[in-house]
Amino acid sequence: MSMNAVSENVVEVRNLCKYFPIRAGLFGRVVGQVHAVENVSFSIKRGTTMGLVGESGCGKTTIGKTLLNLTPKTSGEVVFNGNTHLDQLRGKTLREFRPKMQIIFQDPYSSLSPRLPVGEIIGEAVREHHLVPDHEYDAYVSRIMKACGLHDYQKDRYPHEFSGGQRQRICIARAIALNPDFIVCDEPVSALDVSIQAQIINLLEDLQKEFNLTYLFISHDLSVVQHISDTVGVMYLGNMVEYAGKEEIFANPLHPYTQALFSAIPIPDPTVKMNRIILEGSIPSPANPPTGCKFHTRCRECREVCKQKAPKTMDMGNGHRVACHIYDPESGYGRA
Amino acid sequence: MSENKANNLNNNEEQLALDDGRRVKVLSPGMMVFKRFIRNKLAIAGIIILAFMFLFSFLGGVVSPYRQDQVFYKTDSANKEYASAVVNTEYRFVTRDGSRLSTLVRANFSRVIKDAGEEGVSFEADGAAWTVRKLGDSFYSIGTAQELGTVTMLGKIADVKPNPGMEISDEVKAAALQAVQSGTLEFEVDGQTYLLTKGKAKSYTLGTVAETAIASLLSFDTYSSEDNALVAGFEFRRAAELAINEGETAFEAAGESFALEHEDGGALIYRAGDTENPMATVSNVIVNSVTSGVFLPMDYKAAVADAIADHQTAFEYVNADGVTERHTIRMRGNNYIIYTEQQTYLIDMYAAPSMAHPLGTDDHGMDVLTRLMYGGRISLMVGFVVMLLENLIGIIIGGISGYFGGWVDTLLMRFVDLFNSIPYYPMMIIAGAIMDAFEVPPYTRIFLLMAIMGIMGWTGVARVVRGQILSLREQDFMVATEATGIRISRRIFRHLVPNVMPLLIVQATMGLGSIILTEATLSFLGLGIKYPLASWGSIINAASNIYVMTNFWYIWIPAGVLIVLTVLGFNFVGDGLRDAFDPKMKR
Repeated sequence: MSMNAVSENVVEVRNLCKYFPIRAGLFGRVVGQVHAVENVSFSIKRGTTMGLVGESGCGKTTIGKTLLNLTPKTSGEVVFNGNTHLDQLRGKTLREFRPKMQIIFQDPYSSLSPRLPVGEIIGEAVREHHLVPDHEYDAYVSRIMKACGLHDYQKDRYPHEFSGGQRQRICIARAIALNPDFIVCDEPVSALDVSIQAQIINLLEDLQKEFNLTYLFISHDLSVVQHISDTVGVMYLGNMVEYAGKEEIFANPLHPYTQALFSAIPIPDPTVKMNRIILEGSIPSPANPPTGCKFHTRCRECREVCKQKAPKTMDMGNGHRVACHIYDPESGYGRA
Repeated sequence: MSENKANNLNNNEEQLALDDGRRVKVLSPGMMVFKRFIRNKLAIAGIIILAFMFLFSFLGGVVSPYRQDQVFYKTDSANKEYASAVVNTEYRFVTRDGSRLSTLVRANFSRVIKDAGEEGVSFEADGAAWTVRKLGDSFYSIGTAQELGTVTMLGKIADVKPNPGMEISDEVKAAALQAVQSGTLEFEVDGQTYLLTKGKAKSYTLGTVAETAIASLLSFDTYSSEDNALVAGFEFRRAAELAINEGETAFEAAGESFALEHEDGGALIYRAGDTENPMATVSNVIVNSVTSGVFLPMDYKAAVADAIADHQTAFEYVNADGVTERHTIRMRGNNYIIYTEQQTYLIDMYAAPSMAHPLGTDDHGMDVLTRLMYGGRISLMVGFVVMLLENLIGIIIGGISGYFGGWVDTLLMRFVDLFNSIPYYPMMIIAGAIMDAFEVPPYTRIFLLMAIMGIMGWTGVARVVRGQILSLREQDFMVATEATGIRISRRIFRHLVPNVMPLLIVQATMGLGSIILTEATLSFLGLGIKYPLASWGSIINAASNIYVMTNFWYIWIPAGVLIVLTVLGFNFVGDGLRDAFDPKMKR
């Protein structure tokens, strides 16, 4: 955490796994594992945004929560600022480190306690961690609220008096107030209507510039991800199947799943004929994932090797990584 | 100054844009709940009812002039047993000084009297020959007889032949011959009575009789205790009874002369020369006071004896104070019971409503209204204490169970299941019986009762709290408190508890009604609050007596109405709170 050794990567994730046990019977015997996140590695540079896309239930939110140690990881490594392993902190140390990493939830309604006034929701943790001197506290909360597009007279109001967009601003203010380095934005705009989405996205971008924030932006809305991200990770059934810079991945998606996903982005031009790739079937259960490549059950390019062997992650250059046998010359996919 | 301020305020308001958020009046959640609550007419009715109940119970006890266990008395005339009388059918024996009659003799006497005539009947007892002679109506003499000799009639000549060892004086012989000739079988010589008993043919047995005792059915009562010794004496008795039997108006005994006045079944005895004040009464009726230590005056006894002799059922008697009392006589077996109206100090039971007792008095003679006030205190206090106890235990256990989850949750919930499996009323009946057996004082009993009810009743609260906390724990705002690094105590008390409180307040308010009902049920069954303390339930207990239920509505109906109103009040308030806390309700 020392300032002279500020790491270029705010977050580094190596081989992160998160399994949820399936318990059954009278004594809660573990009868299986839900492979929510499996062998995921990525890093986010300071001041950038990484977009994380994927279908519902593919483990995006689990990654976000595991990064913040809100749910303990099963294995792997999460390094914050180059030297802090969050899962090794306990009790008071962990609590004191918490402000550095914040989270913004998808549902702005359940993420605010209905019995606390807004000023208290935003400032509670500020006071808890003594981030500002007591006499500056009020002014500080007002400043944060202004920065997030709220009025300071709204401090004494309660969450039920605010609209969804305003509530999301409150959530953002709560995160920003702690002066974090890193914020997990867990689908922050998917519960909002489109005009409000734009406001919130813009607010997040403005704040990123103002406070030099690093975001992990989880979303299933590809156009939003395309707008805000610097790098993009694509997830399928707990695995990160492709990871690249935004321009690279949108211009040249390599993985068949990514290609299918991106083909679904609507183009706001009625004359353009969309060449959509329709995926057959539905996403398999993460408790009982398919053997080999997890995507082989729905993949158009599936061959025998895909059913046998899990693909290795191949670096295709320019930081473009993909986990598919097609691009692995040693996999025996066909080119070999 | 104030005008200036008002202007400023106006200016400020004018400067606000039409769509400015500050124009909207904002209420805190608490204020909104309050506002919604006071707009609910039923809830306000409930509040008014409860306020009345609290004033009635807690202020009423202070205002009421009576204590809760104050017993009221009244004086009333009651027909009470005053005396008993019996017509004597047992012979009473008066013995000559220095003599005794053994039980054997008395038993033999009873056996032979039906055969006893003027000439007497003999029997052997205690090694002596006894003779019973009838002297008059139910009047016998008992004496030891001795045979002296035989008198044999030979035509006109009588021969008196003494038994061996006996001597008969010439004087006696002459008298015996004279008696035989004149046909009398009894004669006296020198104050000694001789008897002739007919034997075989024309012979008589001559013997003497030494009178030991007399037996009669009459009883003598003296007016003055000075005369007791005289009247109890053998000589006086014998002379008096002889005179009564023979209808004489005077007799002599112990050297004094007495006058007799005959009455039905008895007589009055006067000293000679004093015809105003009788000295003793003679009667076959024995009168005793029912109450020990009460001395019945002679003239009262005489009046009773007269009334019985006349077969009357009532008579009047002028007592020592000159007041005429009316006495009634009733037969009970062989006894006559004499009743009289007497002024008595009575417990004022089941008194009808009056100015002094607006709801009358109960079976203990206590003011019902006052007991309702004090009973309300206990009923409400039990309700609140048990509610607090239930919630305390329930919140702690449910909170731990919900917050920590996992095996702690499983363990605690099985514990709750265990508690829920204990049958409530049998348990309470056993607890009541144990407290009865140990004779627990009434106040201690209340506290034990509250403790037991609280311990038996917390499971519902625990389940509600656990469920609520389990669902709140998963809410994003609780995850956010963890993500922002807020300490656990603050998470629980600033975020969890305020969100559980509304439900708990509603639950507790609704629960209060049912706790009061339970307490009333237990007290009604006699397991709860014990005399002399009261609760509304124990007051209704009076209605378990069908006579009280049908005749004295004012004892139990008011308590029932108070219970119904209180429970209704708590339910109204609970409903109102629930609606007020419900965020889906319109403002």
